[in-house]
Amino acid sequence: MPGSFTFSSLPKQPVPLVVVSPRRILADLLSKGWVENAIPFIAFVLVAGGIMLTTRDYFGATNLLNLAQYATDGGLLVLALLIVVAVGGIDLSVGSNFAMSAFVALYCFHILGLPTPVILAASLAAGGLTGAVNGVLAGLIGCGALLATLGTMITVRGLYTLASQARLVEISTSARVDDLWDWIGFERWLGLPVGFWALLIVAACVFVMFRQSRFGWHILAVGGNRKAARHGGIQVKLTIFLAYLLGGLVVGLAGFLYAARQNSVGSDTGVGMEFFALTALVVGLGGFVPGRGAVLSVLVGFATVYLFNNAMINAGYRGDFVQLSMGAILIVILAADVKFRKNRHRLLASTYLDPVRVDIDGVKGMDGLMPHEIRPKLREAEILAPGKLDGPEDVILDADGNLYCGNRDGRLLRLRPPDYSRVEVVAKIGGRPLGLAFDPEGRIVTCVAGMGLLRVTMDGAVELLTDQTGRSLLSVQDDTTIRMADDLDIAPDGTIYFTDATKRYDIENWGLDLLEGRPNGRLLSYDPRTRKTRTVCDNLVFPNGVCVTHDGKFLLVASTWSCSILIFDLANAAAGPRVFLSGLPGYPDNINRASDGGYWVALAGMRNPIIDQSMKYPALRRRMTRRVPPTNWLFGNLNIGGVLKLDGDGRIADALWDAPGGPLYMITSMREHEGSLFMGGVTNNKIGRLRLENADNGWTGPKSYWGEG
Amino acid sequence: MAEVVARAGVPGPRGRLLEMIVVGAAAALIIIFSVAVDGFATAGNLGVMLSNSASLVILSCGMAVVIISRGLDLSLIAAMIAGATTFSTLIAAGVPAPVALLVTIAVMIAIGLANAWLIAYVEIPALLATLASAMFITGLFRFAILRGEYLLLLPKSNPAVVFLSGELMPGVPTPVVLMLVTVAASWILMRYSTAGRTIQAMGDNFQAARLTGLPVRTTTIVVYVFAALTALLAGLVMSAASGTVDFRTVTNGTLLFDVILVVVLGGIPLRGGHGGIRNIVIGIALIAVLRNGMTLMNVTTQMQDVIKGLVLLTAIVADKYFNPRDAETDTIGDL
Repeated sequence: MPGSFTFSSLPKQPVPLVVVSPRRILADLLSKGWVENAIPFIAFVLVAGGIMLTTRDYFGATNLLNLAQYATDGGLLVLALLIVVAVGGIDLSVGSNFAMSAFVALYCFHILGLPTPVILAASLAAGGLTGAVNGVLAGLIGCGALLATLGTMITVRGLYTLASQARLVEISTSARVDDLWDWIGFERWLGLPVGFWALLIVAACVFVMFRQSRFGWHILAVGGNRKAARHGGIQVKLTIFLAYLLGGLVVGLAGFLYAARQNSVGSDTGVGMEFFALTALVVGLGGFVPGRGAVLSVLVGFATVYLFNNAMINAGYRGDFVQLSMGAILIVILAADVKFRKNRHRLLASTYLDPVRVDIDGVKGMDGLMPHEIRPKLREAEILAPGKLDGPEDVILDADGNLYCGNRDGRLLRLRPPDYSRVEVVAKIGGRPLGLAFDPEGRIVTCVAGMGLLRVTMDGAVELLTDQTGRSLLSVQDDTTIRMADDLDIAPDGTIYFTDATKRYDIENWGLDLLEGRPNGRLLSYDPRTRKTRTVCDNLVFPNGVCVTHDGKFLLVASTWSCSILIFDLANAAAGPRVFLSGLPGYPDNINRASDGGYWVALAGMRNPIIDQSMKYPALRRRMTRRVPPTNWLFGNLNIGGVLKLDGDGRIADALWDAPGGPLYMITSMREHEGSLFMGGVTNNKIGRLRLENADNGWTGPKSYWGEG
Repeated sequence: MAEVVARAGVPGPRGRLLEMIVVGAAAALIIIFSVAVDGFATAGNLGVMLSNSASLVILSCGMAVVIISRGLDLSLIAAMIAGATTFSTLIAAGVPAPVALLVTIAVMIAIGLANAWLIAYVEIPALLATLASAMFITGLFRFAILRGEYLLLLPKSNPAVVFLSGELMPGVPTPVVLMLVTVAASWILMRYSTAGRTIQAMGDNFQAARLTGLPVRTTTIVVYVFAALTALLAGLVMSAASGTVDFRTVTNGTLLFDVILVVVLGGIPLRGGHGGIRNIVIGIALIAVLRNGMTLMNVTTQMQDVIKGLVLLTAIVADKYFNPRDAETDTIGDL
């Protein structure tokens, strides 16, 4: 009885182009890694916007150049602090060290009269020395970083005050002028102050260091988890020492640039710089976070604090008010950061599930076939290999009657006729093998949840065909990767059609997809000749079983949660699906061909009026998942299942029900082979075989697809 | 059980060793200064030393309690200045001293509560919370009360100021009495109160203390309010003695540094859990002798800072050796 339906007369199944939901967007944003970096950027935009509204010409070229000229030392200090904080320490001595380096530069320039490059080296050496002392104390010896650097801060400040008081008159009366020195201090190169170039170059170097260099990665590893870093073979103490040393060198450079620009130092040079740098760092990192080398974020944080400071002073606020505001901002950011970090995963967990109202057609076309009306035919099913399998979601038989099925442990198994009692391993795939199909060359193509589409040859070689498709438009979550490849079938031209049942849940959480009820799945195709993966139709409701019709022109796709079977015209798949059959009494899983031109449909579970009703109340389901333990959720009945027999036109011809007490429970797949029906279940530990009456005893699946060859 | 409780605050033999070394160093300094410096070993100098150290001792008591609870209060000096400012502004405006004192105490309790709330309830690491609150408090008081100035002059003739800077009984200066009162109060708090036991348990193992059901949040409030109150006393003593409230005390960080120096030298590990008032006495002995002797020898303030800095660095290296810590289990707050 070949199919005689006309495709164009079937009702169209509407498929949304995009799924937009505020809660889902929030959840997807929360699961992004960069969401923590949003704080400095938002703060920067707020500050810059506020300044633009209140101050005229603030962002004019003259003022910007002026700002850039004076931003250098602060910016370098923040970078130095970033390096130290990234390794898990803190450096309070940056301000004192900065003043000392500036003094050393001025001393070398005015009193010793050294050439400028030598002065630079001396400044770097001075900065590096303090950094090294910090590094020895906090890194090599392992003292508390806060106290150690507090000690060096006071000591260096004392030494600086002593030295500068002794030499300040001499320095300020010196008349030495040097072209290179003045060029560094005052001139511009390519339109920007020389000092600012130095800041940019150092920032770029630190960026590359954290991104690309082994040392930078070691710093981040040590800051992230000292124990793990040590177990990973990193020399933790040496890395900490070097980080402090490097921070000290950067501070030394800042001191040198400051000296060249100001040509003098005062008793308050660098006082409070450590707190300024710390504030900028906390704003930039959105908290005090070791193990992160976010140079860009930190520079944005620095720009925010610097502009805020500058604009407030310009607007006539006194330093004390600025200090007050900075303290308040610091507290607010720290508090927000702590609370956000602590509660982010909870917020994510409570927003991720986003149910929607679903109306499912009532049960149709089952007159006289419901379980209470006929006897459970599967009670007579013969049980194969009981206890030797774990979750054969799909079963398939080759022309010789060998049975293949996937296993929960990621292996592909073979059972040999006639008794199918011995289990052999064909291949170790990994993942969770689900749907199976034979290609024309007799290889098995399989959908593996968590991996994608794979091909297995009979000698056990596994080849990944595809695990990615194009990203869907307007999706916040990156849905390129195929998350839960479920079932497949192969068209006569060799194109593999397969389903990604849900883009939002992994296989162990597929139940949540029912409670959500959204069209989260998609139908994909893979062309073995071009090796291209294409999304045929996005936004389907849990597309599950796939079957190419007997004539090879259409594709049946089971839509599990909507209890219907969709049909695609393979000649024009872009036109979208139509409804082949709706109002099934249970949740359809795999679909396979029958010998008489009809189709077998596995019912993984049965609908019940309560869950059907609750599908109309998304708020109810949301509350249920938040308030009630999962074991008590309303759900479809998965303890009983069956197999439906369709004729070629999509009418239900027969129903093979499992008995209430088993033996097969949740049936997810069935294959007809030489007059028998073989049934697998994703939670079963066995395979069922039922002798069929009135079936073609010579019919096999491979023959039906690829002919006698 | 009683024995276990009694032993809770006692460090191991190596911790004792540091105390002995510091006591020995103080004794050696006393001998050296007595021989080398004229006027060091006199009763008058002893009185000066006690009076000058009063505010430092009072602050150290507050800081010690905080550190034993495994916290850190960088806003201690800012709170001290805030208390002194509030009190002096009120008495200068003619408010009777007892009323002014009550208002100031309320302000200090508010500061302590704010710190404790940030640390215990918002759960910001103590180091960062008090760093930010120090900035906020200093900025607020300079902005709202001082109008941008650094110095606030006290009315010298005000009876309250006279009382605070004078002598309670002949030969017994008020600062010294206040100091002794604070030391006694801290001792009772740490030794005999439930809160004191909880503080030591928190310092020893915070998670264990929390999981056994100790009231760690309310105890944190006790800790920081106590610290703020010691800051008030110290502020009163210090400003009455000098006749000014100087906000640069906060910005230059020297006093905070001295306080931490006293606590660390006294042998209280920065990881908390151990230590008591005995340790403060030991620490203050060394620092007071050192300060006094150096001042008598005409060593400049900057040079004193350098020397104290080196002493601190030595002390923390020694502390690392005597109270070894596992840096690998550090969290952000344990810098």
